[in-house]
Amino acid sequence: MSNSISYRGISKKFTAKAGVVTALENYNFEIDAHEFIVIVGPSGCGKSTLLSLTAGLMSASEGQILLDNQPVTGPGPDRTVVFQDFSLFPWKTVEQNISFGLRINGVAAQERQQLMTRAIKVIGLVGFEKYFPDQLSGGMQQRVAIARAFVMRPKVLLMDEPFAALDAMNRTLMQEELVRIWSEDKPTVLFITHSVEEAIYLADRVLVMTRRPGSIKELVNVHDFSGPDSHWRHGPIDAAMARKEFQELRQQIWNSVKEEIGEQ
Amino acid sequence: MNMIFSRKALEGSAYAVVSIGGLIVFWWLAVHHNWVSSFVLPPPTDVVKAILRIVNGYMGTGLWVHFSASMSVVLMGYIIAIFLGVPLGMSMAYLPIVDRIFAPMIMTLRPIPPPAWIPLAILWFGIDHSSKVFVVFVAAIVPCLLNAYEGVRQTSPKLINAAEMLGANRWVVFSEVVLPSALPVVLTGIRISLGNAWATLVAAELVVATAGFGFLIINGYRNFEISIMAAAMFPIALIGAAMNIGFILLEKRLVPWRTEQKN
Repeated sequence: MSNSISYRGISKKFTAKAGVVTALENYNFEIDAHEFIVIVGPSGCGKSTLLSLTAGLMSASEGQILLDNQPVTGPGPDRTVVFQDFSLFPWKTVEQNISFGLRINGVAAQERQQLMTRAIKVIGLVGFEKYFPDQLSGGMQQRVAIARAFVMRPKVLLMDEPFAALDAMNRTLMQEELVRIWSEDKPTVLFITHSVEEAIYLADRVLVMTRRPGSIKELVNVHDFSGPDSHWRHGPIDAAMARKEFQELRQQIWNSVKEEIGEQ
Repeated sequence: MNMIFSRKALEGSAYAVVSIGGLIVFWWLAVHHNWVSSFVLPPPTDVVKAILRIVNGYMGTGLWVHFSASMSVVLMGYIIAIFLGVPLGMSMAYLPIVDRIFAPMIMTLRPIPPPAWIPLAILWFGIDHSSKVFVVFVAAIVPCLLNAYEGVRQTSPKLINAAEMLGANRWVVFSEVVLPSALPVVLTGIRISLGNAWATLVAAELVVATAGFGFLIINGYRNFEISIMAAAMFPIALIGAAMNIGFILLEKRLVPWRTEQKN
């Protein structure tokens, strides 16, 4: 099992009132196993489309997506998603939400219980097992959503601006926590954000997309900046941001994104 | 949270006493000062006496006979309406072909007020229970069906996606996402149906019945016993209100994620 994803000549066209809109055009990209890829780009550049295609929630107009050399044909528990609006089931408690995927995939009750208990511990929600999502804060809800996705031990984790709805403080906490949780199994991650800092802090590689129709503008290896031995995401975010290299990279990526926004 | 009589609840009951008490006082004053003739509107005391007469057996039959006559018709028509209306509404929302077949029919029949069916129902089913059950059914099925349809339609596509991403098949999506998501709306429809059923039952009993609260009213009218007419309206109001409250409590039990508050 290699957990690699390859995009082969992906195009996606939507039919809108104004005519055919091309969201992605001839998109080619390879993601290595266990890689943390963060995608930034102007609004409407096809970031979310790319994620939905990878999830199998929509199909490409042209081209193929291969996961471990197998074409993606529909949604499945080997690729779980964390959505921006959490999308927890309001009628299920914290533990029911987290164990839902395990249960419907036939994981035995005892193993389910173990995995769930551990997940709840990892996200720091011990004591909140019987709470409904509406009784939790936004940050806690997003932790549950992350646990629900991680507990499946997916090959690929897809995250669509998962922290955009959180306040700045929770956002920082969740970024650091995500690194910690991710480091355990290291699934391949495709993460979308509008925050350049978030991208640089989390990613192995940052992918800057062009404006619509979306294609790859720039691919930045963060390890070239944070040093080959240890990625700065393993320390706190403010320590990372204090580094000269972090700021240089931030400036470089921000300029790159700005060019795309400016041209519109 | 353990306090049964919160300040808010006490305030509410105080207003209720003023509201209902005021109405009774005004009613008493109106009759007492002959603003309206006591022949048209009997004083509250006469109505209380009439209520006691009904309870103790007006015209040879006790309150229980009228209660069970009304309730058996209402429940039968109502339950048939739920068991046909909810599944039909849900399948219309889920399967376009069912929607296309039934929607025009329902949209055509729906504007007809249920009591308009009474004469036809008598012609078809005779003057016994079944004609009233039919009319109650017609009145009750509409909110059941429409809310079941709406409830299923309102299911968030994002939650369906979230379930599919975790490996849910069509059946799991239906039973664990669509059904619980629709449940509050469906329950509201079922509760509105109960009110409709009750109102239509009384209308039907005014036309054709030998027992029941509607029968008591029309019998009081025929015998010029105005206080009986008024008295029979009280159990109708009480039972209607009790059923509504009971239903709201049931909704809270069945939909705990909606009513639980943040600590």
